Amino acid sequence: MSSTRGIDFATLTLKDALDLAVFIEEEACERYGEFADQMEMHDTQDAARFFRYMVENEEKHRSELAERRRELFGDAPTAVSRAMIFDVEAPEYDEARAFMTLREALNAAMRSEEKAHAFFVAALPRIKDASVRELFEELCAEEVEHKRLVQVEIDKAPPDPKIASKEFADEPVGE
Amino acid sequence: MTTAVATQFAPKDFKSELKPIWCPGCGDFGVLQAIYRALAAIGRPPHEIAFISGIGCSSRIPGYTTAYGFNSVHGRALPIAQGLKLARPELLVLAAGGDGDGFSIGGGHVPHAVRRNDDITYIVMDNQTYGLTKGQLSPTSAKGRHTVTSPEGSLENPVNPLLYVLAYGAPFVAQGTPADIPGLSAMIEEAIRFPGFSFVNVQSPCVTYGEEEQQIKAHKAIMKKLDDLGHDPTSRLQALDRAQSYGTELLTGVYFRDPSPPPTLGSLVRERQESLSAKAKPRERILDLFLQK
Repeated sequence: MSSTRGIDFATLTLKDALDLAVFIEEEACERYGEFADQMEMHDTQDAARFFRYMVENEEKHRSELAERRRELFGDAPTAVSRAMIFDVEAPEYDEARAFMTLREALNAAMRSEEKAHAFFVAALPRIKDASVRELFEELCAEEVEHKRLVQVEIDKAPPDPKIASKEFADEPVGE
Repeated sequence: MTTAVATQFAPKDFKSELKPIWCPGCGDFGVLQAIYRALAAIGRPPHEIAFISGIGCSSRIPGYTTAYGFNSVHGRALPIAQGLKLARPELLVLAAGGDGDGFSIGGGHVPHAVRRNDDITYIVMDNQTYGLTKGQLSPTSAKGRHTVTSPEGSLENPVNPLLYVLAYGAPFVAQGTPADIPGLSAMIEEAIRFPGFSFVNVQSPCVTYGEEEQQIKAHKAIMKKLDDLGHDPTSRLQALDRAQSYGTELLTGVYFRDPSPPPTLGSLVRERQESLSAKAKPRERILDLFLQK
C-alpha cells in the first residue's frame, strides 16, 4: 500500500512536484531492480527479463522528469525527500515470488501501475497550483497508458502452467 | 506547507553491493528497506555504524548494509554488540537476528543485555520458524504448528518475545511488521534514538515455510496500531497487558518507552573510571603494589 508523509498537496510547487515525481520513478526503478536480482538469483529468467525491462522504463521516465526539472529550476534546492513517499509506483515486496511466471510478473506490474494511477487521482482534488495540476494530470494519463501497455503484454503472455510451481518445486536456494 | 524531511543521507547510501539471497517475497526485504530508511533519517555516516548479527536467514542483514558488520556466532549477537559498545561508545551499534537466534540459542543473553542497558538497538526478525535449516519448530512457533519437526503439531507453548524483554525491564519495546514499512522505519528510528537498550520485534513472515495467515497480506488485514487503541507507551503495566496478545493478534507500535530512561552501562562505566582514575597508581608503580603485598 502506498503512503506519503508530510506532503501538503495544496501548497506544492511545480519544482517540488517534479522532484516528487522523480523520487516516485526512482523508487520504482530500484524496486524492479531488486526484483530482477531476486529472480536472477533464483533462476527465474522470464520474470527476471521482464523486471529488468521495467527498470529501463522507470529509469527513462525518471531521467526525463529530472531533465525537465533541471531545465525549469536548475539546481535550486528541493523541499521534498524520498522519505515523503513510499511504494507509490514500486511493486510491494510481497509481490515477488520464487519461480513466478512471466504472467505473474506482468500482473504484479499491472497492480503497481494501478496503484500509481490511484495515487495521482487521489492527489488531484487537493492541488491548487495550476502548473502542478497540469503535471499530475499528465502523470495520471501516463499511468493509464502504462496500464494499457502492460495489458497488451499480459494478453500476449503464455498461460500459466496448470500445476503451480509450489506443487512441484523445491524450496528456493540462493546461489 | 510541505515539510522537508531531507537529511544528508538517502536510504540507498546504506545499501551494499551484496545482493540478498533471501527467498523472493521474504519479509526480511521489507525490514531491510525500513532499516535503510531509518538510518538515512538518523543521518550518521555508514562508517560510524556497526551492525552485529548471529546466524540465520535474517542474520545475513549486516552484509546488505554499508555499515561495519559482523555476521557472528549463533545466538551471540548481543554479547558481541555489548562488548563493542563498551569499547567504542561513539559507534551506533545495532544487533539483529531471528527468533531462534535470539530466544532459543541466544535466549540466555537477552536478560543480561536488558539489565545492563547499554545503548544498543536489537532488531529481531521473528518468523516463527527456522527457515535457513528448512522449517523446523522455533521458540516462537505457535502451539499446534505443523513443521518437519512437529508433523503432528507442536505440543509446546511459544516464547513471547515482548513479555520476555518487558519483564526483565527493557526500557524501550516495540513491535512492527514489513506490511507497514514506513511505520516500521519510524519505529526503528525511534528505537535507535532512544538512549538505552531498545528492542524491536518484527513479525517478518517466512514466505517458504510460514503459514498463510502469517504472510504480509494477512498482516495488512489484521494489524492494529497501538496508537489507535489509546495505548499509553509510558506505562509498563499497560505494555505487559497488551503484550499478552502476542500470537493471537498483531499489535504494532511502541509498547513501552521509559519516560525516565535509566543510565546506560556505558555511562556508568565511564563514571566509575573517572572516579577511580584519581586513586589509580601510575602504571610504572604497578609492580611495586604487588611487591608490597
